[in-house]
Amino acid sequence: MSHPDPDERRRQFESIALPLMQALYNTSLRLTTDADEAADIVQETFLRAYRTFDNFRPGTNARAWLFTILYSVFANRYREAKRRPRMEAVEQLEAPANPESDITLVAAWGSRWNPEVERALRRLPEDFRTPLLLIDVEGLSYEEAASVLGCAVGTIGSRLFRGRKLLYAMLQEYAHQAGYGKDTAPDS
Amino acid sequence: MTDSAGHLGVTLQDFLDERLDAARQVEVREHLEGCAQCRSELAALRWVRDVALKQLPVEDVPPALAARVAAALNAADKQPVRRRWGRRAVAGALLAAAAVVLLLLVSPSGIGDTLPEAVARDFTAYRDGTLPLTLHTSDGAAVERLFAAGGAPFAMRVFDLGMMQYQLVGGRVHRLRSRPSALFVYRGPDGRDLVCQMYEGRLADLPRSDDMREHNGINFQVYRAGTVTLVFWQEGAVVCVLASDADAEAVIQLAYAKAVKV
Repeated sequence: MSHPDPDERRRQFESIALPLMQALYNTSLRLTTDADEAADIVQETFLRAYRTFDNFRPGTNARAWLFTILYSVFANRYREAKRRPRMEAVEQLEAPANPESDITLVAAWGSRWNPEVERALRRLPEDFRTPLLLIDVEGLSYEEAASVLGCAVGTIGSRLFRGRKLLYAMLQEYAHQAGYGKDTAPDS
Repeated sequence: MTDSAGHLGVTLQDFLDERLDAARQVEVREHLEGCAQCRSELAALRWVRDVALKQLPVEDVPPALAARVAAALNAADKQPVRRRWGRRAVAGALLAAAAVVLLLLVSPSGIGDTLPEAVARDFTAYRDGTLPLTLHTSDGAAVERLFAAGGAPFAMRVFDLGMMQYQLVGGRVHRLRSRPSALFVYRGPDGRDLVCQMYEGRLADLPRSDDMREHNGINFQVYRAGTVTLVFWQEGAVVCVLASDADAEAVIQLAYAKAVKV
């Protein structure tokens, strides 16, 4: 995409990218679980995208393009700093969460809703959480999510499956209270 | 299709997400009729996808982040672009230069819109959804902070038009014909948009207007571009302009109400 006029280039970039800032910020927030870190990653994402905007082909998927950059920034930061978000063993995920962490979570996210789902999502290992965020929350296709994360479509499918099952296992009681799945409990 | 225990496993997800062909869907439906565990697992997967994850709150972008992004893009614009010039690029540049010379010859007034034309174009772009706002908020102070953090080189103020039934929608760190501009938008009665811009400049630099008004000692220059009315006035070193496709006199009255003699 060639832009001889800098103002027009900026305008075209903003018309494509700015409407996605909220989705990028929310995903960044759920990847990092830290508002400052999430904002830094979004800013870096926009800057990188702007610098490489001439390589963006009009008509291709801007959402997938920006999420690819976002995930790359996120992965590089945590890789460099060796401070990836804490992982819990999959087997531990069905244990009750620490109430103190709930308080922190509710304070961070506001108190507009029941934090059960957010808390469970936060405890999911990143490998399972990210496909859920991209596909179930942001509406990317399997193929787009595979492109964002740089892995095979089959891998995305199996991680998504595992993530959904783990999330359900963590939320089973909440789901039952909400009237879902009272009769049977699927094998997780 | 089934695992070693005779259940569908990940095939259930492919079924749920409509990634199976028609024949396989039939097979899955037949299996589900006789397998309570797979039915239950399918219901759980569907609940996670369609209920649980749809409950997640959507956080607003912090105004400070929107301003930081705008400032970062501004800084990137100021950096020289390093290019490796190949023969083809040089030839392209020469052709482009020739085209510019040709345009100047056929267009003595120069290239590009006049300021009123540029403001009208911005209004239309906003109305058509191709000019996004940096920040969506009804908080005037937040929009003023956005412009301050975005490096606006002049003092500006966001109008309170609530008495006239215009609600602030948000703002954008903008450029109007390459000059920094504070752009903010209102939604008025009948869903009419009102786009305001402020930039450093002089009213005298605008092209001649056939409609010059004076109110409370302030001069207003009014332009019309199709259905869009533009009203310019000067406040110190800053030019203010309102643009809207609402009734022309109503737009002029809004300008009268908000203009301040400096």
